[in-house]
Amino acid sequence: MKTLPRFIILVIAAIVAFAPLVIDGQTKSTPKAWTPPKTPWGDPDIQGLWPGQDMVGTPLERDRSLGTRAFLTDEEFANKVKFSEEQNEIDTAEYVNRNPRIARGGRFVTCEEDPNLCRNGVRIGPPNYWDERGKPTKQASLVMDPPDGRLPPLTPEAQKIQADRAAARRARACATAPGGCHDTWEDESLWDRCITRGLVGSVLPNGYNTGNQIVQSPGYVVFRNEMIHEARVIPVDGRPHSNANIRTWMGESRGHWEGNTLVVETSNFLPGIPVANTPTSDALRVVERFTPTDADTLSYQLTVEDMKTWTKPWTVSFPLKRSKDYAVYEYACHEGNYYMYNALSGARSEEKKK
Amino acid sequence: MRFIGYLFFYFIAVIPAVAQTQAYRAPRLSGHPDLNGIWQAMNTANWDLLDHPAQPGPFSQTGAIGAVPAGQSVVEGGEIPYKPEALKKRQENFAKRMTEDPEAKCYMPGIPRATYMPYPFQIVQSQRDILFVYEYATANRLVNMGPAQKAGSDTWMGTSNGRWEGETLVVDVTGLNGLAWFDRAGNWATDRLHVVERYTRTSPDHLQYEATIEDPAVFTRPWKISMTLYRKVEKNAQLLEFKCVPFAEELLYGQFKKKD
Repeated sequence: MKTLPRFIILVIAAIVAFAPLVIDGQTKSTPKAWTPPKTPWGDPDIQGLWPGQDMVGTPLERDRSLGTRAFLTDEEFANKVKFSEEQNEIDTAEYVNRNPRIARGGRFVTCEEDPNLCRNGVRIGPPNYWDERGKPTKQASLVMDPPDGRLPPLTPEAQKIQADRAAARRARACATAPGGCHDTWEDESLWDRCITRGLVGSVLPNGYNTGNQIVQSPGYVVFRNEMIHEARVIPVDGRPHSNANIRTWMGESRGHWEGNTLVVETSNFLPGIPVANTPTSDALRVVERFTPTDADTLSYQLTVEDMKTWTKPWTVSFPLKRSKDYAVYEYACHEGNYYMYNALSGARSEEKKK
Repeated sequence: MRFIGYLFFYFIAVIPAVAQTQAYRAPRLSGHPDLNGIWQAMNTANWDLLDHPAQPGPFSQTGAIGAVPAGQSVVEGGEIPYKPEALKKRQENFAKRMTEDPEAKCYMPGIPRATYMPYPFQIVQSQRDILFVYEYATANRLVNMGPAQKAGSDTWMGTSNGRWEGETLVVDVTGLNGLAWFDRAGNWATDRLHVVERYTRTSPDHLQYEATIEDPAVFTRPWKISMTLYRKVEKNAQLLEFKCVPFAEELLYGQFKKKD
């Protein structure tokens, strides 16, 4: 190498450095070349707090009117900022609001306009200040592929499963009860039961508990999510997947480094875990890419492949911003789950009244 | 003769004991002992911290499967210094353990119980902080190795501040909510619980664990447990997932299920 002119070395270095961009170009992200520090054992060091709270206001799917335009115009963005300021005003106002304005579909509605959101003139659900709102961004949706920012169509198989489930629900005696079906705990969602939000739900920006933390050790990266205290231990030592007979809610992850990008492939999921409100199959496979693009930004990309459920893979992509002071609290969701007692005992109590 | 006796004791007993526990120098990570690995206790402390004979389990339906293996005390001195009324509560806990042990409900195990549950845990030690990930109930806790932080609120797994004392990782745990038990025998503490843990590698595959337990509401003095933790040495060793909420729902919510 000593005999090579410096120019040639630079050209080779540039090719090596930008090669991942060419590959990434196909998957809709263009991380800048930036070299993170190394851990003492030589891996790229992406440790730290990476909460997803900034992106809470960005919808999963893009408004159809935007078509394949992934980013808002300056004018659209200005409207979003205005909306966010109004929301902030509502959130910080004195609570016990007898005539609340509730954000729905990009505007604010009152109880009169949508009585389903209220009871006796008071909003149903947590108070406004409870929710994270995120920061207005120009990104029009979390889904960046397909190019229209919408989830691909369901397969005929998945459509049939959905239709059968819906029919089975309608056929139940509780279907017409005011609060819906609460015959058993299995009528509640995995999230309400505090089992898990699943891999995808644990990282997608949500109204609360958006903390993410990365801790690395030799041969491992741990992606820790505040939501229902997940800690996904990802081996990066090249070991193969274990037998698919061991299926789990969070799946089994295997990672490797492609340059400075951590690529994590996860499979062996239990069937039925909802992703974007759709129950997934045993064929679910998730590929995540964590690319540091500067000292405080981690480009995060997540591709969902489940050919039994969606007709093609889809990808969400958004930046995670480093926080120095985000506090990850213990979310003892199951331990404090009075919702389950209330939902089930409330339904039994309603039945007795009849 | 007595002098020679001491001398004999010193050379035969003390030196080898010291050599075994103190002379081992663990491999280093950023200058500190490297505690990375998947570890598990191999004792019956989760059934009862104290000496106990083999005994039937709480449910006759599962026959010998649910029985309790005999075990030796992990408590130094073999006794937990309860105040009289606190001892009574322990006995009540034991009587109600089938429904009231937080483990039965799949609640987080707290510290120190997480360490000796019959499930492995992984120490994920970086050059800075250290994450403990427990297979049971996906419980986990970050041990802050920076300037000590006050507990923001009481939690099941507490607030952990760590420091190195030579070969030993010392973890000071406060902010525990006092709802976790120490074992299936109903040993307990309140939210005044303060635990100081000490982790010391004594060989490539052994980790010595000690915890000093203090709670002036329940105990007359601090007391100590100690045990050996073993590395899972299998090539394919990994933490699996034990999300036990679905296993506890019948117990917790069964009474509110709709009867056909």
